Amino acid sequence: MSILLIKNLYAEVDGKEILKGVNLEIKGGETHAIMGPNGTGKSTLASVIMGHPKFIITKGEIILDGKNVLDMAVDERSRAGIFLGMQNPAEVPGVTNSDFIKTAMNTRSEEGKSISLFKFIIQYDKAVKELKMNEDLPHRYLNEGFSGGEKKRNEILQMKMLNPKIAILDEIDSGLDVDALKIVGENITKMKSPDLGLLLITHYQRLLEYISTDYVHVMMQGRIVKSGDQKLIERIDQEGYDWIKEELGIDDERVFIEEEEERIILGTCATKEALDL
Amino acid sequence: MMKYNDITKLKKNIPSEIRKFFTEKLNNYLVIIDGEVIIKNLQSSFEKLSINYNNVMDIVVPRNFSEKETLHIFYIQENTDSVINTKITLKENAELNYFEYLFSNTESKVDFVSDSYISENAKLRYSGISKFNKNSKVSVIRNSNISRYGSSIYSIAEVSDADADLRINMFLDGDYANAVAKTVAITSKKQKVRIKQIIEHNAPDTEGYIENYGVSNNDSSLIFEGVGKINKNMKRSIARQQNKGIVLGENSRLDANPLLLIDEYDVEASHGAAIGKIDEEQLYYLMSRGLTLKNAERLIISGFLSPIIKQLTTDELIEDFLEVVKRKTL
Repeated sequence: MSILLIKNLYAEVDGKEILKGVNLEIKGGETHAIMGPNGTGKSTLASVIMGHPKFIITKGEIILDGKNVLDMAVDERSRAGIFLGMQNPAEVPGVTNSDFIKTAMNTRSEEGKSISLFKFIIQYDKAVKELKMNEDLPHRYLNEGFSGGEKKRNEILQMKMLNPKIAILDEIDSGLDVDALKIVGENITKMKSPDLGLLLITHYQRLLEYISTDYVHVMMQGRIVKSGDQKLIERIDQEGYDWIKEELGIDDERVFIEEEEERIILGTCATKEALDL
Repeated sequence: MMKYNDITKLKKNIPSEIRKFFTEKLNNYLVIIDGEVIIKNLQSSFEKLSINYNNVMDIVVPRNFSEKETLHIFYIQENTDSVINTKITLKENAELNYFEYLFSNTESKVDFVSDSYISENAKLRYSGISKFNKNSKVSVIRNSNISRYGSSIYSIAEVSDADADLRINMFLDGDYANAVAKTVAITSKKQKVRIKQIIEHNAPDTEGYIENYGVSNNDSSLIFEGVGKINKNMKRSIARQQNKGIVLGENSRLDANPLLLIDEYDVEASHGAAIGKIDEEQLYYLMSRGLTLKNAERLIISGFLSPIIKQLTTDELIEDFLEVVKRKTL
């Protein structure tokens, strides 16, 4: 059984402080849900645990089974057993889903030993069927041209194949229709075991209808402000977050205002340059 | 399957880098070392084609004949400086898949010229890999002349260690003809490679597409110059161009200079260039599944270069290509 320990975690991006003292402990077999309105730092927490290079940790600790996670590179964290189902997974043209996941699985096996192709295909096909995805998935390029829902299912498929100790699912429910939500929810529930600690990040309770949770946390202003059990979800579902804000005297729950990503154009038009336009 | 091999005088040793390709899975190939045909291994259906070699490789595909199998030609340069000439003629409604592998393992000067003549409604798929020794001086010129309704698709991989000057000149001479010039190139060390493609529209309703994928590493420099030229009165023609590049090294250079020279109003034309470092989000994503930085980079680059992998017919050829990608991008 694994334990992920987050102690007094502070993180910033571009000089803006987003996490302001997060404390959380996730044990194998437990399912935690972090809820909260947009812009309160939920996804940042997920990215920071995985090690996205954009974020800088200014204070605090993340410890997995006694090992300092903050000392590990992104790939080492993955091999140590941390998995992040991303909100916006990247598209990688030219790399097929099966090549990618096969390579990822081989990084986990002992030196020189790679997973048998036969075993891999059987396991992959099974996962594809369970998630009701198209059979051509292994030959398609990684997330390229995938709908929002397909991308999310592909994240769950990778989780199935990699068998993590701690899985964080960042808004895995967004972009999913009711049927897909049910499939994803049931698949996650099926993966539950004493060896898996789950952290679900969401701002709707919809997903939590399919996955039972042991602990529910509400995040505001970059930290966990309230924790409880299933009953907390029900109350949030009925009354929203205002009562929590009132109770805690919080005026604005956000830590940052989401900005549109700036697009960068690389390279210039030679003709324009030649003609000095 | 009957095979005919009229020339099998193996008085020359085939370099091991090339010999590994000749497995049972590879069909229909010729091996030419320093201007001499060493192996000719062709399926019976190729008897319908005229393939003659006499200083010039002359291939003629007769009218209405469509050859589905790929013809592979390995040109190996060992000792002499030489000029290699290839001429491919497709008669009306003919079809051919052609693949060439250009190789040198010694210091030599290579001049390679190939010409293709695509008659009405004929279709040529031409692919090639060049892998020249670092001390070679290389000039490769490929010309294609395309008649009415003809189609000519060139997919070239330039993975030499040599300084090289590559040109593709395609002439759309009949209406509704189309041409594709696709190039994948990787440069490393102190290499300088310049690739220039021209597609000239000499008839109305013609289509020309230029696609380039480049990776430059170490202190190398790679330049793509694509030109789409639509002449006056060649109405309703389409000229498009796309350049994509990854700059790996601190001191590497990668330039794409797309040009559109258009002398007619009623046309469609576009060009684009996207050149930069490896996408950080892609790297992060792959690494978040446990791939090391090197592994993730390699996977992204081979994916980026996949347009050429699709043209390769056997696992050995694919492996050879991936190996050179790996070596040149380290």
